[in-house]
Amino acid sequence: MNRQRMNYAVVRQLILKDWYLNRGVILGSIPVGLVALAIVLTGKPVAFMLCVILLCMVIVGVGAQLAFVTTINERKEQTLAFVMSLPVSWREYTAAKILANLIIFLIPWLPLTAGALGLLLLPGATHGLVPFTAIMALEMLITTSIIVTAGIITESQAWTTAGIFLSSLGINLGGYIFAHLPGISNYMWGTRVYWSPTALIVLICELLTVPLLLGATFFVQSRKTDFL
Amino acid sequence: MNDLCIRMEGVSKRYPHFLLDSICLELREGEVLGFIGANGAGKSTTIRILMGLVRQDTGSVQVLGHPMPAEQTAAKLDIGFVSEDLRLYGAPTLAWHMKFVASMYPRWDQAYADKLLQRFDLKPQQKIKGLSHGQRVKAALLLALARQPRLLILDEPTTGLDPVARREVLGELMSVLTDEGRTIFFSSHNTLEVEQISDHIAFIDRGRLIAHDEKESLLERWRRVRLVVPPSTALPLLPGIVEVAGTERLPVLTTSQFDPDVVSLCQNRGVTVQAVDSMTLEEIFVANVQSRRELQPA
Repeated sequence: MNRQRMNYAVVRQLILKDWYLNRGVILGSIPVGLVALAIVLTGKPVAFMLCVILLCMVIVGVGAQLAFVTTINERKEQTLAFVMSLPVSWREYTAAKILANLIIFLIPWLPLTAGALGLLLLPGATHGLVPFTAIMALEMLITTSIIVTAGIITESQAWTTAGIFLSSLGINLGGYIFAHLPGISNYMWGTRVYWSPTALIVLICELLTVPLLLGATFFVQSRKTDFL
Repeated sequence: MNDLCIRMEGVSKRYPHFLLDSICLELREGEVLGFIGANGAGKSTTIRILMGLVRQDTGSVQVLGHPMPAEQTAAKLDIGFVSEDLRLYGAPTLAWHMKFVASMYPRWDQAYADKLLQRFDLKPQQKIKGLSHGQRVKAALLLALARQPRLLILDEPTTGLDPVARREVLGELMSVLTDEGRTIFFSSHNTLEVEQISDHIAFIDRGRLIAHDEKESLLERWRRVRLVVPPSTALPLLPGIVEVAGTERLPVLTTSQFDPDVVSLCQNRGVTVQAVDSMTLEEIFVANVQSRRELQPA
């Protein structure tokens, strides 16, 4: 089949459109996440757990909301026909969806992850938790990628909800497993940051999983023949 | 002059419970095609194939010289599309939509868009979710027209509109027709609307194209002939009879190939032609569909 070249200007416009439609939720999530981080500064024992729970809720919630609004709702509310009436190919549409979800998700994820790591590097904090926190932050990026993949490929509310459910379970399960890997658990509560080979391998695997998932999504979508 | 805007050749698409069967259709530049079919006849599937949103299983599709769906992006630069099931984003304003669409169309005509805003009584700062159904259709039409498309594809755009909104939408379409370069593919099951604006007509039923002709020719060829047949006189064999109704003595024939000579032919056989009635597009469509269905039951 004769495939036209990707029009990056169109992809950019579609990403900007999704940013415009979701900017309220995304920008609103950052102060909530910062409040969660600030709770740690109170120094109370329960504060750390509360911060972790709140941060997870905010980050996973943002990813799920984004995937729903940009993929499922677009079909459900029949705005997909409007977008596809524009000079947009399905490849450009899919590329825009993947990139929009990733880029927009990174807007709260980056400052909140940086904030969490920064707090752990404060004098008196448990510096050894830095690798584990980085691993968990990347796991949330994977969670969002799974939800985006489910949303884009299945275009089904039920499957995307299942994706949210399973990937949320995966965060807990992954957290438990990683926290019990000797290469991580032995240094977790130390006073210095130690990037053990185990921690580095997990991080690299997580980093590779994200483009793999999103690349597979693009590949599967490129082979579809019917879009409406 | 009169280049082909749309060319579909042997286009088929199979779904589990529906088959779009070997559609062959041509639409020349400047023509307005009324595409009529009942619900579920295959109108929307045909339009989705034309827009490159559904890939045909077999056959070839060319829109404005571009093979579809391979070159759908280039084709859609010159297409304005409004569909009954097309919705704009609820939260943003019409002005945002105009800016968004304009960013993708180099030929976007802001002056024309402003003119349409006035004509349709739309306010650019109004959010789409605050608009009535009629206003939303007009907003979608504005976004399609201001991009200066060579081809307008309209899929039941007036469905659900009140009479005033429908008149306004049709009025704007009629004014668009003054631009002879503009080609329109107008799908509807409202035959009255189609009759108003089209110069060519195509009927689709159960996934098959059952008629495709110039409107005037179609309206000229179809007639209802009321006869008085004396006892012991046989009904003459007339060309193109698709339906015989009435009684044996007072039959009403519907023909798709009416010829004025039929009157003298009947009189020569001793049959009196009581009346020759012209038919509306709706009557022609229904008679055509029913006769085809009788010949080819589902």
